[in-house]
Amino acid sequence: MDLFRIENLSFRYPAAEKNALSEISLSVEGGSFVVLCGQSGCGKTTLLKMLKRELSPHGSRSGEIFYNGLCLQELSERKSACEIGYVLQNPESQTVTDKVWHELAFGLENMGAPTSVIRRRVGEMASFFGIQDWFRKNTSELSGGQKQLLNLASIMVMQPKVLILDEPTSQLDPIAAADFIATLQKLNKDLGLTILLAEHRLEEVFPIADRVLVMEEGGIAAYEPPRSVERALREKNPAHPMLKALPSAVRIFCGVDRIGDCPLTVKEGRRYLSEHWSENPPCVPPAAYMPGGEPALELKEVWFRYSRDLPDVLRGVTFSVCKGESFCILGGNGTGKTTMLDIAAGLRKAYRGKVLVAGKPLKEYRGGELYRHHLALLPQNPQTVFLKKTVEADFEEICKVMEYSAQERADMIESVSARLGIEPLQKQHPYDLSGGEQQKCALAKMLLLRPRILLLDEPTKGIDAFAKLQLLEIIRELKKDGIAIVTVTHDVEFACMAADRCALFFDGEIVSDDVPRRFFAENNFYTTAANRIARHLDPFAVTVEDVVAFCRGGK
Amino acid sequence: MKKDLLVLLAVVLLAVFVIRGTEIQSVDEYYLTHIDDISEDSETVFLSIRCDTILENWDALDSALRSEQYVPKDGVILQKTEYVLRPGDSVFDLLSRATRHHKIQMEYQGVRDNGYGSAYIRGIHYLYEFSCGPLSGWLYTVNGAFPGYGCSKYFPKDGDVIEWKYTCDLGRDVGNDSGSGLQGR
Amino acid sequence: MKAFGALHPLVLFCYFIAVLFLSAFTSHPVLLALSLLGAVCFWATLEQGGGFWRSMGYYAVLFLLIAVTNPLFSHNGVTPLFFLNGNPVTLEAILMGIDIAALMVSIIFWCKCYSLVMTSDKFLYLFGRIVPKLSLVLSMALRFIPLFQNQAQRVGRAQKAMGLYAGTSYVDKLRGGLRVFSVMVTWSLENAVDTGDSMRARGYGLKGRTSFSLFRFTLRDGVFLAGTAILFAAVLAGMRMGYLHFTFYPEVAPVQTALAAIWCYVCYGLLAFLPFILETEENLKWIYSVSKI
Repeated sequence: MDLFRIENLSFRYPAAEKNALSEISLSVEGGSFVVLCGQSGCGKTTLLKMLKRELSPHGSRSGEIFYNGLCLQELSERKSACEIGYVLQNPESQTVTDKVWHELAFGLENMGAPTSVIRRRVGEMASFFGIQDWFRKNTSELSGGQKQLLNLASIMVMQPKVLILDEPTSQLDPIAAADFIATLQKLNKDLGLTILLAEHRLEEVFPIADRVLVMEEGGIAAYEPPRSVERALREKNPAHPMLKALPSAVRIFCGVDRIGDCPLTVKEGRRYLSEHWSENPPCVPPAAYMPGGEPALELKEVWFRYSRDLPDVLRGVTFSVCKGESFCILGGNGTGKTTMLDIAAGLRKAYRGKVLVAGKPLKEYRGGELYRHHLALLPQNPQTVFLKKTVEADFEEICKVMEYSAQERADMIESVSARLGIEPLQKQHPYDLSGGEQQKCALAKMLLLRPRILLLDEPTKGIDAFAKLQLLEIIRELKKDGIAIVTVTHDVEFACMAADRCALFFDGEIVSDDVPRRFFAENNFYTTAANRIARHLDPFAVTVEDVVAFCRGGK
Repeated sequence: MKKDLLVLLAVVLLAVFVIRGTEIQSVDEYYLTHIDDISEDSETVFLSIRCDTILENWDALDSALRSEQYVPKDGVILQKTEYVLRPGDSVFDLLSRATRHHKIQMEYQGVRDNGYGSAYIRGIHYLYEFSCGPLSGWLYTVNGAFPGYGCSKYFPKDGDVIEWKYTCDLGRDVGNDSGSGLQGR
Repeated sequence: MKAFGALHPLVLFCYFIAVLFLSAFTSHPVLLALSLLGAVCFWATLEQGGGFWRSMGYYAVLFLLIAVTNPLFSHNGVTPLFFLNGNPVTLEAILMGIDIAALMVSIIFWCKCYSLVMTSDKFLYLFGRIVPKLSLVLSMALRFIPLFQNQAQRVGRAQKAMGLYAGTSYVDKLRGGLRVFSVMVTWSLENAVDTGDSMRARGYGLKGRTSFSLFRFTLRDGVFLAGTAILFAAVLAGMRMGYLHFTFYPEVAPVQTALAAIWCYVCYGLLAFLPFILETEENLKWIYSVSKI
């Protein structure tokens, strides 16, 4: 029997011009794993919130939602709270209490469960999720991945029948995200739990989904098993934007002549390529990196530690970036990449070594001089950049600081906004924007400083595939102006497209450094999915486009 | 933070030392006071110190003081004695000189330490204010009358009889019905 | 670790109240010495290593400072040692200064132990019994504070990296701080919306909410509570009957050696050293069991 049945559901927010959801009909089978995807603002979150009665937004709605054959509105409050679990996007703000054990017990306390029952269920869940080691910790001491796992566990103690998750991994690093997805898969497989997951990082979730729901503009673009999603989307629109957001294996399949079944995983992708294109000659190895140009930012033997008694975070970091070059530094979580950017931006001081900005030591820049016309740092969380009620007011403010004349100011704001395509967002409150929009507006604010060096800290965190592609375009544009860009990221897919040169940061230093195609060809694990699919045939194919070109080239 | 507090405390203590000056005397040095000899033409006053009221309120007395050592049986700490009145002497100066001469313990609150502009006698011979009930303390009479001044503001004349008396009832038990506080407070 | 800290919060709370009460309302040097020693020993088991000795140094100096303050202001006592500006500095006043210092430092140490042992969750548990809503609010506040600080720091750094309000003048810094604060208010509201969603999603607001805690009142807790109560009552009775009366002025009274007084000392000593004994006993057990393996 269908767990959820949605019939002709339409929804419109008060004072909105368009429907947020229009005429949605679908049913979710009990025990299935459904992945929701689509561009930001396509109505994913609205749809998911409609399924959880307590969180249903206000507005005008029509149509019905049935849960277990019962109209959702008629479900008892207790049943609704217990059986439908909901995990939100931000791991931090949905934690309610200060202790891990208390957070786990919170839902059951609300249900009025006696202490003995709570004790047993909390114990069971903590063991299942491996929380016992940090059971008595403060919630503020946890890492992002642990926090999100705790949020999941504190819903699982209520023994839900269905789990709804709204982009739960968007704020996590790739390893924590993969762990989280694996846990979800385990819950689905071992407990038969129904899972509805909205996600924009599809590489891992796509293969494990039973059904994929692609949404666009409040409606359904496709609701298919993963292998047929690609075909369904193509039939609708051969250049459907969602095609670019699918996993690498699917995109490769989509790029070449589609023969046979659509591969979903790296393993299937490899087999697929071997079957059909093993005769192709490999591409010519790309040229090695040739240093050249005028250095914009140089770090020389930089050592840093947070305090005298703590171990070194940076151990002799040395690199230089030229004008108009994009340099990506990859590395695991908590290795000190962000610290390195802070040092380059003058927010922290190295205890040994030199930082040169445009050939001049950092120390010689007085006051705010460094940040005017020289260097800008876009922090990991773009929200922190804004202080005002509208994006526009924030722009005005930065222009005032830069002492532009009124005319210059208007021109600057206009040209930067046009370049990043954020004119319609200017009157909005920065906090109301989506992750990608926030990112662009924050970047615009940085560009008003007219920097020659731009430091980006995890720019792809929490943004969807389209925003990523736009960011890529912006970076290419900025490079043309001679701006040097240093990006620190975990996102290998992004790095291989955005960088002129990639480096691996490990154990406090930069260990290898080369042009992306050579850099990733050298790595076995730390490389793109496309490269892992094709490396046995062409080690230098790192992007989906490279692989497609390789396949096409052979014919 | 902690260290700052310590330093602050030490500095305050040091400041107290400096402001109050530091004159250190040994016990013998201190008690070695010179009392002027009485001659024909010297002006003199009479001074006595008594605590008779305590004998009547023995139960209210601090248990540590219930001994003849501190409260003499007859209530007399200093017999009526004649002293030379030096020019400009106040009652306080006389008391101070007399107690010092007889090695009687005396503690006072200096002029700078209170808001009354006069020294205040807190205790004589280990008998302190509040030692014998909440209304107890030292006061003085001059020729049997209670001057409404602090003892360092009252300047006696030749032949005056000054009596320091311990009261257990804000002076009412030693004949002060005016209701003014101890030592002019 | 923490044989004592593992006791039920109610027991811990009663214990600390009893010890603090007795320490604060006595001036008896024997009791204060026991109290100070007990507190320091207990604290030593809680905080080992360099931190212990550094703090001890600090409190030793504090002790001395408090001790010398009294003779500067109090001149009572039959044994003058020397005269300072015409006022006697007496042996009694110095001894009383030491006594006061012991009182204050022992109370500080008990409070330090209290803050290490009575963690926020224990405190919340105790008072959550009385006002369940309040305990949840406090718990949420305790979660929110570090979150807020973190975000405020991030915002501050992001602003600094744009060269905003990075001037050295105080006015500039203050203005920057105010702006960051105002945006933090907005952020807090946004955050609260999410938290509210998360609470409602988990059925907050339904009738019959219970309050869960990890603490269980065991027999051991009962025994300990009874022991604390008996010792406390014994010392209190001793105080009321005047066995623990002690005076410094005008002459230092002799320490009472009546049998009842000695019993009071023993009771108080036991009370003050209870945590230390408990911790040491457990440590010894560990050493013993390790050596057997």
